[in-house]
Amino acid sequence: MNRAWLSPVLWLVLDLATTAAGAHSASDAYLTLDAAGKDSPVVAHGEWDIALRDLDFVLKLDDDGDGRITWGELKHHQADIAHYAVARLVFVGRGAAADRVGKACAINLTRQQVAGHADGTYAALFFDVVCARPATSLHLHYDLFFDIDPSHRGILVMHSGDDVATALLSPEKASIDLPL
Amino acid sequence: MREPAPPGPVSARIYTAALNEERTMDSPSSRPFNVSLLLRLVLATALLLVTTARAQGIPDPVRAPFTPTRDSEVLQDVPAAHDPAVQAMRTLRAQLDAAPQSLAAAIALANAYIDYSRQIGDAHYAGYAEAVIAPWRTRAAPPASVLLTEATILQYRHQFTAARELLQRALRIDAHNGQAWLTLATLDMVQGDYPRVGKECAEVTNDAGLDVGLACLGNLRSYTGHAQQSLLLLGQAEAPSGDASPSYLAWVHGLLAESAERLGDWARAEADYRAALALLPQDNFLLVAYADFLLDRDRAREVLPLLAGHEQSDTAFLRIALAQAALHSPDVVRDTWIMGARFAALRQRGSEYFGREESRFALSLQHDPQAALDLALRNWQVQRAPWDARVVLEAAQAANDLRRATPVLDFVEQTHLEDPVIVPLAKLLRARLTAATAQLAP
Repeated sequence: MNRAWLSPVLWLVLDLATTAAGAHSASDAYLTLDAAGKDSPVVAHGEWDIALRDLDFVLKLDDDGDGRITWGELKHHQADIAHYAVARLVFVGRGAAADRVGKACAINLTRQQVAGHADGTYAALFFDVVCARPATSLHLHYDLFFDIDPSHRGILVMHSGDDVATALLSPEKASIDLPL
Repeated sequence: MREPAPPGPVSARIYTAALNEERTMDSPSSRPFNVSLLLRLVLATALLLVTTARAQGIPDPVRAPFTPTRDSEVLQDVPAAHDPAVQAMRTLRAQLDAAPQSLAAAIALANAYIDYSRQIGDAHYAGYAEAVIAPWRTRAAPPASVLLTEATILQYRHQFTAARELLQRALRIDAHNGQAWLTLATLDMVQGDYPRVGKECAEVTNDAGLDVGLACLGNLRSYTGHAQQSLLLLGQAEAPSGDASPSYLAWVHGLLAESAERLGDWARAEADYRAALALLPQDNFLLVAYADFLLDRDRAREVLPLLAGHEQSDTAFLRIALAQAALHSPDVVRDTWIMGARFAALRQRGSEYFGREESRFALSLQHDPQAALDLALRNWQVQRAPWDARVVLEAAQAANDLRRATPVLDFVEQTHLEDPVIVPLAKLLRARLTAATAQLAP
């Protein structure tokens, strides 16, 4: 019998029956915001942790291809990472009730470090959200990796005084309004 | 995992974007609403994890943002460029980029991603596969091959209901698609609907050939009290008439090993695991199944070298932690913490397809039989393979809550499952349950 037409996937689906594996880490990024006060142009401070594994898939961080990303290699790509990430996050500041449309705020990167998470090392991007006009709320639109991996999720935590708000950002729910 | 800073639980306002459709926060108002139980749990776990980690001084890899000092410091393992699977994926990607309208190129790349995802136990590549077929998936009438690939991804994520729906749609378009029938058979096998599997294996035989049909049927027989017959059928499937690929042979050896385990023939099971791993040495599914075999044989020491380098896979990592526990290694504290953080991260993103593993984690590493039983029973609602039964029975025994194991005891008896661990345990629990009921009777 000729089974050349059978793809390897055929065998993958069946041994699910034998072992039916459970947990697999999928792609997550962690976006933490701290409201900085309504009177200052800097409305929030942010930290965005993005997995190096994901960044490697789109930006090829492993320069020598040895399967290990070193700090030297990562430093070499920090500008690319910043450019890639910032282009995929939008903040719009909204003021009084009359100000329905709002105005886009700038994302000013302050520094890049690395952070250890349970499933690997992440690039930690620190930034300020700077709005030219006074804002009482922020509209956030998140679009990281959805084009290459629709199962990616952004896990948002917003600190505002003593309050903590969290949200799960997905292709279906990529936007959220956050009171300041 | 470095969790977000601990929240003030009383004032916590939770905005769920994806967890609760009705509670979309589209308005800029700051109205608080009831925190969902799930998120409460996540936040509580996060808080607990942070506290525990601090108390125990958990070192790398879980740490707050820092700046490395040496350029040579390795931060992350990623697929190496010289890996043949990586090269194959790169070639397929280039072919798709050159012909973005080619469905065949897209399916080939998506299948390579899925296969790699499974091989290394990393769900990222299943997500990449999903993106590759997305342009066809969103069409009004997606082709059968796209529905089948999407179903495979959903099945990998244990989204069985959605996967079944897509497979049925694919079969309405292409009724003789052997791969779709086989995927459907697998799905029903995992969910314990054996009468349906029998019919589907017959379709597999018609549409994909006798060898694959025999393997399908052989696997089914191992679940329904005919493990001896299963070995014979799989033995025939193992010696196919034509040239068989290594992945086909590894798959059949994996099934043979499982059937041998059903019969308590440890020597044969081990020989087949080793034969399968000789063909696919890096395969996460096979490695994890063999690791479970070793753990059951009190051979935890062999698990650590077997799974070295596979820590990225959550299923492999759990077996490493279980082996450390069995060996009374001090590393078990750290591994338990990391595993717990990984489960918390999965829950945080709204995934819940890891019940069997999490139940074992709760029972053997967190020593919380009640939580283990809750997780195992919730998992039992969607998955009914032998290991799914086993985690319920073991947790029920440990929690001394036998009544709740009744649906599993009924299932084991009705399907005539053979298993040298599960069957004696089921008999013991049934006897204790019957005795307890008799005592209560007047």
